[in-house]
Amino acid sequence: MSPPLLEVSNASKIYAMGGLLSRRRFAAVADVSFTLEEDRHEIFTIIGESGSGKTTLARMILNIVPATEGTIRFRGVDLATIRKRADRLAFMRQVQPIFQNPFEAFNPLKRVDRYLYMTALHFTDARTADEVRAKADRALRQVGLSLAEVKGRFPHELSGGQLQRVAVARSLISSPALIIADEPVSMVDASIRMSIVNLFKALRDTLKVSIIYITHDLATAYYISDRIIIMKKGEVVESGNAREVLAHPTHPYSILLKNSVLSPDPSRRDELLAPQFSSTEKDIAALR
Amino acid sequence: MLSILKDLLRYNREFAAGAALLGIVVAMSAMSALAPMPPDDVYVVPPDLPPSWTYLMGTTSRGQDVFWQLSFAIRNTLLFGFIVALLSRILSLVIGLLSGYLGGFVDRVLMSINDTFIVMPLFPILVMFYFVMRDRMSWAALALVMAGLGWAYDARLIRSIAMSLRTRQFTEHSVYSGMSTRQIVAQEHLPYVMPIVFSTTMNNINWSIGLEVTLSVLGFTNINTPTIGVMIYWANQHTAMTAGVWWWVFFPVALVIMVFIGLFLLAVSMNEYIDPRSRLSRMRSAKT
Amino acid sequence: MTAGAPTTVGAAGQGVAEAPQPQPVLRVSDLSAFYQTHYFGIVREVRAVDDISLHVLPNEIYGLAGESSCGKTTLIKTIAGAIQPPLNVVGGSVKFDFRGQSINVYESTPEERNAMRWQHLSYIMQGSMSVLNPVRRVRHSFVDFAFRHIGRSMPDFLDTVVGHLERLHLRADVLDAYPHELSGGMRQRVTIALATVCRPEFIIADEPTTALDVVVQKGVLAMIRGIQREIGSSLLFVTHDLSVHANLADRLGIMYAGHIVEEGPTAELFASPRHPYTVHLIGSLPRVGDAAPKKGLEGVPPNLADPPPGCRFHPRCPLAMGICSRETPVMEWAGPGRRVACFAAEKGITA
Ligand SMILES: Nc1ncnc2c1ncn2[C@@H]1O[C@H](COP(=O)(O)OP(=O)(O)OP(=O)(O)O)[C@@H](O)[C@H]1O
Ligand SMILES: Nc1ncnc2c1ncn2[C@@H]1O[C@H](COP(=O)(O)OP(=O)(O)OP(=O)(O)O)[C@@H](O)[C@H]1O
Ligand code: SF4
Ligand SMILES: [Mg+2]
Ligand SMILES: [Mg+2]
Repeated sequence: MSPPLLEVSNASKIYAMGGLLSRRRFAAVADVSFTLEEDRHEIFTIIGESGSGKTTLARMILNIVPATEGTIRFRGVDLATIRKRADRLAFMRQVQPIFQNPFEAFNPLKRVDRYLYMTALHFTDARTADEVRAKADRALRQVGLSLAEVKGRFPHELSGGQLQRVAVARSLISSPALIIADEPVSMVDASIRMSIVNLFKALRDTLKVSIIYITHDLATAYYISDRIIIMKKGEVVESGNAREVLAHPTHPYSILLKNSVLSPDPSRRDELLAPQFSSTEKDIAALR
Repeated sequence: MLSILKDLLRYNREFAAGAALLGIVVAMSAMSALAPMPPDDVYVVPPDLPPSWTYLMGTTSRGQDVFWQLSFAIRNTLLFGFIVALLSRILSLVIGLLSGYLGGFVDRVLMSINDTFIVMPLFPILVMFYFVMRDRMSWAALALVMAGLGWAYDARLIRSIAMSLRTRQFTEHSVYSGMSTRQIVAQEHLPYVMPIVFSTTMNNINWSIGLEVTLSVLGFTNINTPTIGVMIYWANQHTAMTAGVWWWVFFPVALVIMVFIGLFLLAVSMNEYIDPRSRLSRMRSAKT
Repeated sequence: MTAGAPTTVGAAGQGVAEAPQPQPVLRVSDLSAFYQTHYFGIVREVRAVDDISLHVLPNEIYGLAGESSCGKTTLIKTIAGAIQPPLNVVGGSVKFDFRGQSINVYESTPEERNAMRWQHLSYIMQGSMSVLNPVRRVRHSFVDFAFRHIGRSMPDFLDTVVGHLERLHLRADVLDAYPHELSGGMRQRVTIALATVCRPEFIIADEPTTALDVVVQKGVLAMIRGIQREIGSSLLFVTHDLSVHANLADRLGIMYAGHIVEEGPTAELFASPRHPYTVHLIGSLPRVGDAAPKKGLEGVPPNLADPPPGCRFHPRCPLAMGICSRETPVMEWAGPGRRVACFAAEKGITA
């Protein structure tokens, strides 16, 4: 039997934060385990409180930060053993990230198309400038942009949504087996959001890519995910089939989460200031 | 490259002024190739003549033509400054950027070397060096030693910038675009430290020429290679100022000041060119 | 800082709000702002804000919605006077009328503009990292930014800040962290805290809650609205998330490709959208429990460097008629407090 695509076992990450004298150690990620199977291509969603360690977990899977405890294996290889540049490149070809904030993900002094070319050059067989540009253009077209719109432009010349789409396009270039998308759609409007989310679906179904989708948006999570975990303070508080968990959450935090989704209905707007909401605040305090 | 230069000349007054000043100085040093007599010969012209049409900048008490003598002196001084700056910039860039980007062990080793250099007293070392080398003391040896002594402070500055760049998201994005350490450091991070490199280049040339002049005036260098400092040394030996032979001192000093101002203006305008936003603003305001 | 100060028209300010025609705090008239670049002979003009008029009343929350890259950020940058080449204002005006002090942003000196920014206006920028210094602890950003304006002793000031952070569900120890040690949402809340700790009269916020989880988002929106009601300030709020607008905005402007295409009170706009684009936006909202396939809008967003002629929406509009590709519809009155720019809506056709 082939090893699973990704196996996260009891992974934890401990950070120390605070001033010089009052350093406090805390677990940004605490004892998280899950497995993505090789031949079951799925969209695996991580939802959770802000600061609950979703990005940290993503960075651990991307091998950017080492796990303090536990192991993470990709196709049977323990990430802690990946050291040589050739191994790292091979790993990165198969696992690609989309970062949370597109304004921070691009070097302000460099043109954005450069990242596309670099990815094509290092991770595909494109060699000539024309081939590289063709790869970049194809990827951009998949997200509703074209090279002509992006070519030669600096990040400050593009809007947030445009930048995020360039980031998505870049991650597609190397045809990875696993994409780790950290809030890829939080910066874009509903219409583009749906096209990116639909693109993820298509990637899963036609290109056989598994996707770890980190989001705050319960609606798109419900719409595309197969499995879900809900995190709070570094721990997984609930997990399972996405539709079931979102439809019938059992953990108090998951319930709170679901109830906090703003309804797109102006007639219920006074809920925001209503006493009900203050009770939500109390809930949060109690949960902490 | 050419179009950038054209652009700078057209839209940037500081650049034009700086380039003009340096142009004069460089032209002066280029004149050395046309000199009718070698720089070492003495008593080839009548001594102590004030500036005139035959002797543009007068003659020295040693029977040398100040103009031709100065052309050799400025050539050597400029070369000296540039070589010291070039070598020490390369050292401080490589050490600072790598130390900041790689962190950890490499950083600790490099920075302890760095700190040793920062606390070393320069002047006594240079004087000591002169006494050790004595007759073998040459212009090139001095340049090497000064480059070896002049990088440490700036390397620390560059390291601190590189450290903050390492935490920026785009660095991770670059890693996942397949870029190597060399590419990240040289292409992504280098532009951020270029303004510092330019302004410190200017300071460094300033510092090395200043130190060279001081050492030379005191006679701690090879007084047979004409430099600006050596010229002033000889002028002092012949008490030129009290003897009224002011042109022997005035022209070398004036030329050195032109070098300083020219370099300063260049550094300022280059800084601006590196930041695409301010460059665009300048081009626009020139248009309207 | 201005909140505590006695104002000459303090009482009147509230009274006026009930009167039929209160004086707007912000009045934007025929504003156009383009990105104009002349790069080695190639001229490029991105018409990101094109002939926009709007006003914001005291004590009002004005929401601005629209798809990515339609020019929302550009519009509010222009309003805040935070423009930098290549962005240029090519026409129109932006006037603020604060209690007893009015200012025309593009006819004032940079000093006056800065003074206004400090005293009355606070601008929460999109992408929060830019205001936080990456190599200094968060505490320093607060001290640099707000200490002078709050005018208390340092311990008192820090108490205020900590209290304020708590309202945003942040613990005091974020003050000792470097920006990169905070999660995306925490950074974003720190930015909001920075911008609101001085309790400004006019708050401009660009996508301030996009990186927050729904629980915190709700809390932050409640806090923003709380502050806004408490000090009677006005809020210009940009987000593409219509659910946020539904819960926060009193009035809503819909932007498409550099134009405002529809405007009206939030509830009415949601109940009966007139412009086909608004209809699409409201219809395409994803909901939990809804897994029916949804599509994005057909076609591509217009290229603002070369917008389509006539109505800029016509290549994607289900109701497009012949006239739409020839003439540009103007914003017309369409019921009490409502305006819309569409030939079909004018005739009473809706999608
Ligand atoms: N480099 C670091 N040093 C110290 N603490 C850190 C570091 N990176 C993250 N943290 C802390 O770890 C916790 C989890 O952060 P993380 O970025 O993973 O949250 P998140 O779930 O992605 O939140 P968000 O939804 O707001 O992006 C936070 O409390 C954060 O302050
Ligand atoms: N400095 C610039 N130079 C040239 N074009 C620019 C510049 N900044 C923005 N643009 C362009 O102006 C248009 C509007 O950008 P803007 O940032 O206002 O969009 P937005 O509505 O805020 O989008 P988002 O919701 O994605 O943030 C985009 O097409 C963008 O590419
Ligand atoms: S003016 Fe015409 S094209 Fe534009 S939105 Fe109305 S119907 Fe559609
Ligand atoms: Mg995160
Ligand atoms: Mg924007």
